[in-house]
Amino acid sequence: MTDDIIIRGKGITKKFGDFTAVDNIDVEVRRGEIFGFLGPNGAGKTTTIRIMTTLIPPTSGEIEIEGHTVKGLDDPVKEKVGIIQQHIALDNDVSVRENIRYHAILHRIPRKEAKERMDRLINMMGLEPYLDRMAINLSGGWKRRVAIVNALIHDPSILVMDEPTAGLDTQSRHMLWKLIRELNSHGTTVFVTTHYMDEAEELCDRIAIIDHGKIIAQGTPEELCRELGSFAVEYVTEGSDKQYRYFHERSEALQFRDSLPEGAQVTTRNTNLEDVFLELTGRENTQAVQEVEYRI
Amino acid sequence: MSILADSFRVAWIDLAFIKRNILVVLVTSLVTPALYIVAFGYGFGSGAEVEGFEYIAFMIPGVISISTMTSCFNNVAQKVMVQRTYYRSFDELFLCSMKPLSVILGKSWAGMIRSIISCTVLYAIGLIITKDMQFSLQAVAVILLSCLTYALMGVVAGMMSNSHLTLNLFTTLVITPMSFLSGTIFSLEALPEIAQGILYVLPLSHTTECIRSTILGTEFPWISLAITLVYAVAFVLVSRHLVMKGRNRYG
Ligand SMILES: Nc1ncnc2c1ncn2[C@@H]1O[C@H](COP(=O)(O)OP(=O)(O)OP(=O)(O)O)[C@@H](O)[C@H]1O
Ligand SMILES: [Mg+2]
Repeated sequence: MTDDIIIRGKGITKKFGDFTAVDNIDVEVRRGEIFGFLGPNGAGKTTTIRIMTTLIPPTSGEIEIEGHTVKGLDDPVKEKVGIIQQHIALDNDVSVRENIRYHAILHRIPRKEAKERMDRLINMMGLEPYLDRMAINLSGGWKRRVAIVNALIHDPSILVMDEPTAGLDTQSRHMLWKLIRELNSHGTTVFVTTHYMDEAEELCDRIAIIDHGKIIAQGTPEELCRELGSFAVEYVTEGSDKQYRYFHERSEALQFRDSLPEGAQVTTRNTNLEDVFLELTGRENTQAVQEVEYRI
Repeated sequence: MSILADSFRVAWIDLAFIKRNILVVLVTSLVTPALYIVAFGYGFGSGAEVEGFEYIAFMIPGVISISTMTSCFNNVAQKVMVQRTYYRSFDELFLCSMKPLSVILGKSWAGMIRSIISCTVLYAIGLIITKDMQFSLQAVAVILLSCLTYALMGVVAGMMSNSHLTLNLFTTLVITPMSFLSGTIFSLEALPEIAQGILYVLPLSHTTECIRSTILGTEFPWISLAITLVYAVAFVLVSRHLVMKGRNRYG
């Protein structure tokens, strides 16, 4: 049972001073799946991801990668993980090529193999024309492509992506989806966060929703929708905002629709992940709205 | 030694930066020390004698000592701070399985290279212009040790500060006063005893003593060497602690 869990966080807690950003959560990602991690701004996604990939130590809790508890910064099992961080992490004062080569060197990839991999990934990302530019001169989307190459250079078996499609144009986004699927079909496990529910619904085999540092729901997108009620009724009655009701049976939904007063605008449809997300985290998420960009 | 080999992997990107900007690096490494020699050596000390040596022979080892400190410290601290808080690339080092010591040493090398360039030129000029200075391998060894010590101090400062402002504050309050007062360009004996006492605790007095005695051929101050080593080890331990605590990431 344990060996089909490729990466597991056990009782992870992270405190920043008095503030608990991640509150005793368990995360399990199964081998070969695309696991989506959703949550409003400030929910603790990035913090969890940074802990799971051993970038920062948790206040308490343990990380297991391939069934092996990570011990110390030099644990070889870390090499199984690749990460594309939410924030671009490139050395701005050297070239794109040097940034990529640096990652190959850090991961101790033999020179010949490194060159082959670099060529293949650079080609895949269409980065050839940019190789000799300084990293700082690239646009956001192209920097992200460099970050993707960096993350894949050591052929990780788990690829962790923190909002990889944020700020990408439509073409690049589709390119990335295709890439994720392709890597996944070749056996790479993918752990991804996103704010786009359609993306999560389309890509992910399983999803966890985190809010205020706690996991509040977990399952396949279908399971989550089913739990809430697969049939959604969206309606506006006079003098009120749009309201939502969810039903497990179509007949119940139709019955409810018919019970609404004359003149109400009603739509009945299938429940989607966005409904689940909004119902669970609150349609007006005040924390997210108040969330101060701590990075400034 | 995998720690050493790994440390050169870590240093690779900073070395790539130096290679790319070699001209600027050379100019910045050479102008300041040259200025010291002209200003203090000729402008203000010509003909004088300190502790039985020509002033210029007394001063150049002091300036070498200053260069090991300012150049190593500034370069390393700035790089580490910028990579942590602005580029956020420092993080990525910790995705690889890498011992903290490899990272700490790796971040020291590039700064040391720049300082070694300055010191080589200063030493060479000194050997040419005064007979009181001699070449010795012991001097080379203590210069390298001094560079390493201050580079490690740079790692600590780079890990602790999150902006240029805090780094500059440290430079202004600690580095600059230390560089002028630690018996570098004038003898410590010229200062009041309390000041001597304070300065004796700081590392620059000791690296200066070591470097000067090996260059001028006076009795070697073993205590100063021991104190320098204590500082070096302390900087390693503090930076290691900061790395383990997760201080390598911004915020
Ligand atoms: N280094 C830090 N110091 C103090 N607080 C922090 C630090 N890092 C994160 N936090 C806080 O922890 C909480 C969770 O942050 P985190 O970045 O994990 O959120 P997130 O879910 O990734 O949000 P987003 O969707 O905006 O990326 C936030 O309230 C944030 O302010
Ligand atoms: Mg985030």
